[in-house]
Amino acid sequence: MVAEDGLLAEMHALRDRVTGITGSALASRDGLIIKADTEINQDNLAALAATSLGLAQRMAREVGQGALREAVTRSSGGYVAIYAVGSTAVLILTGDEGLNIARLHRESRAAVDRIETMLAGASAVQTGSR
Amino acid sequence: MGTQEPADDASGPPPSLRQALKDCAAAGLSGVLEVTGEPGGTICFSGGGVVAVETPGAPSTEVILLRSGRIAEADWAAAFAAASAGGYAIGPELVIRGLIGAGELEAVLRVAVADAMFVLSGGLVEECRAEPGTVDSQFALEPPAEVGWLLAEASRRMRVLASSRALVEHDRDRMAAAPGAVQPGVLLGQGQDEILALANGRRTARDMAFALGQGVYATTLQLVRMYGAGLLVTASQRAVTLAEQAQASRPAAVPVSEPEAPSPLPRRHKGRAQHRRESDSDAGADLPSLLRLLRPRSGGE
Repeated sequence: MVAEDGLLAEMHALRDRVTGITGSALASRDGLIIKADTEINQDNLAALAATSLGLAQRMAREVGQGALREAVTRSSGGYVAIYAVGSTAVLILTGDEGLNIARLHRESRAAVDRIETMLAGASAVQTGSR
Repeated sequence: MGTQEPADDASGPPPSLRQALKDCAAAGLSGVLEVTGEPGGTICFSGGGVVAVETPGAPSTEVILLRSGRIAEADWAAAFAAASAGGYAIGPELVIRGLIGAGELEAVLRVAVADAMFVLSGGLVEECRAEPGTVDSQFALEPPAEVGWLLAEASRRMRVLASSRALVEHDRDRMAAAPGAVQPGVLLGQGQDEILALANGRRTARDMAFALGQGVYATTLQLVRMYGAGLLVTASQRAVTLAEQAQASRPAAVPVSEPEAPSPLPRRHKGRAQHRRESDSDAGADLPSLLRLLRPRSGGE
């Protein structure tokens, strides 16, 4: 399916462009995996990411800090960055301790927008709205 | 500075980086040199000497100490908390607590700084910007490293890798275990088993260095040997446009697509300890005495 190949290509490209990204996954907002490029258990990752994103967005609203850009979990062994992709999906990126955070911020926005466009195109085909 | 530096050649550190470092040294800079590029990084100076280098392309001293298992995470956390509360750097606290010897820590720092400079030198440098001021880095090399020595060492490492029969690009080639390389119940030793376990087609030498807590250069040497011996294959290459442009401007380094006959024996350098998993004992003739202080690694974990 063309759309899925494009998704994986986009995720691979992001991993190539940003030093330190170790893997990525794309999941639906209800916690089901759409596409994954990771060694980590995809189903667990998808479920946790959907929940995390929801909590992070609630937190941003609660403290009145505007729209959530990304939710980053930083641990002794690396990072997890979670992005909302439109209103229907979640992008999860994992990185090691050397993750180039500055470059990640620069590259992730455009990547998220491209992925959102691909998903919108795929669902338009599916619902026969063409 | 009294350090022999090879004439500028296309296979060494980029001229802009080389010049910027010399300028900082000549000016006696205390502050940072920000290097933008891929991977780019920050070089911290004190009185014209380099005390630290930070880059996404090479493991920091913290990563080296923790991931190699040299210092336990709980001990590190306690030392970090105490140092933070006291308002000083973690290095002295680690020594005070007996978690690492002062000499060993200095050796690790020197290896990490040289490794980071090697990675910066082999990457793409877009711009170098010096910013005087106080430096706030987690570890500071004392005495600071001379720019001349760092540049000469980076050049030497780049030449060593470029002249290897089996070429592995440390930030580009994603390595996988060759079919049959991993056999149940068979241990290869010398760190090769750990490398094979990490070589899943996703990781570059840089990625493995982070996972193992050792230098990128030392890791790349291991991969070169294993690639030459047919234990590893290149699964894919990282498509980084900027780095490709940088490579295109250098003398051709043609990647080998299939394992060749075993590579010739590595050249012996004075003080070099073969097959030491985390050591970077190839780092120069003035280091052997410091490196002997490194805790000997037994095989396996």
